Amino acid sequence: MLLDLHTHSIASDDSRASVEQYVRWVGVLRKKGHCIDGFVLTEHRQFNHDVDYSTLSEANEILILKGSELDTDCGHFLVYGVTKEITEQIDFSNVNMHAEDLVEICDQMGAIAIPAHPGRSGIGFAEYLAGGRKGFDTIEIVEGLNGSNRPGEGEKAQDLIKSKGYKSIGGSDAHIVSAIGTCMTRFTEDVKDESDLVNKLREGLFRPVRLEESKEQ
Amino acid sequence: MTTDEGIKYDRSLLGVEHPIGTFDVTKKMIVGFARSTGETDTKFIGTPDGTGEVVAPSTICNIFVNGVTRPDINLEFGDLSFFAGQSIECKSEIKPGDTLSATTRLEEVYAKTGRSGKMVFAVWQTTFSNQNDEIVALVNESFVRRNRSK
Repeated sequence: MLLDLHTHSIASDDSRASVEQYVRWVGVLRKKGHCIDGFVLTEHRQFNHDVDYSTLSEANEILILKGSELDTDCGHFLVYGVTKEITEQIDFSNVNMHAEDLVEICDQMGAIAIPAHPGRSGIGFAEYLAGGRKGFDTIEIVEGLNGSNRPGEGEKAQDLIKSKGYKSIGGSDAHIVSAIGTCMTRFTEDVKDESDLVNKLREGLFRPVRLEESKEQ
Repeated sequence: MTTDEGIKYDRSLLGVEHPIGTFDVTKKMIVGFARSTGETDTKFIGTPDGTGEVVAPSTICNIFVNGVTRPDINLEFGDLSFFAGQSIECKSEIKPGDTLSATTRLEEVYAKTGRSGKMVFAVWQTTFSNQNDEIVALVNESFVRRNRSK
């Protein structure tokens, strides 16, 4: 199963793509022979419990899940498995949130926090570790493949993955329609929902792939 | 969805309407604006002989908000400010002879972090109404403040 684990719709302040437009573009990719089973909306600094994509999802046979991308004092983190208990405990809009607290709360409450685009300057996890930031013993996964990286940022992420032995996911970080699916994560088993996504990530049975690797045989 | 916690600025301005003036809409203004944007539809630029009715392109409010002076929110962050985007929500037709009145209000102040570090956004919404008190357009504009790159 192939999922794009990092996308932004117009709910994020810097995206111009609607969820419906993403769904249509996935249809275009499928017609070109690419396999893409779904995507996770990881809107910046927010999580909307009320929005429901199940009708759109079923009508188009695309799994549409919800997560979030949060700003922390150690760069940006993707969060999967967000619950009401978590949003009551964490202020998602706090750009100075303590990253270790976020990771710990997610670990305790059935979610998972994963450093996004760790090779980026200013908002990437690697820079903070290189600067002496300690801790994060429970982190096992980072976003090793990000479709919106600039030259050098992916390489820096790979260096981090090698040095720490992290597992790696992939996501497009799409902010425009045609960017969706450029990087994805291939799971060995099907993912059913947000909670199941957390389980599958914890199990570690996945790997990042680029769109070119998603052609159906 | 966002919070302004930890950002120092004049919160008393939030949601308060500030009149910014009235604007008389003329056919010459509409046609001139439409032509300047490359518009070719006679609905907006009129017929070649200058006759015929016109309506304003929905983006014409852009020329009215340009240069508007807004209250200073006294933001205590950053030393570099720039315009961060605009959207115009069209509500009703704007025609020659209309007199538009506009008010603006501070909608939201929030922070985010990007490749260049922390940024603080101030979002203003300007409401344009015609002489019949009918809202014709809402213009949302964002302004960002950040620190200069070292």
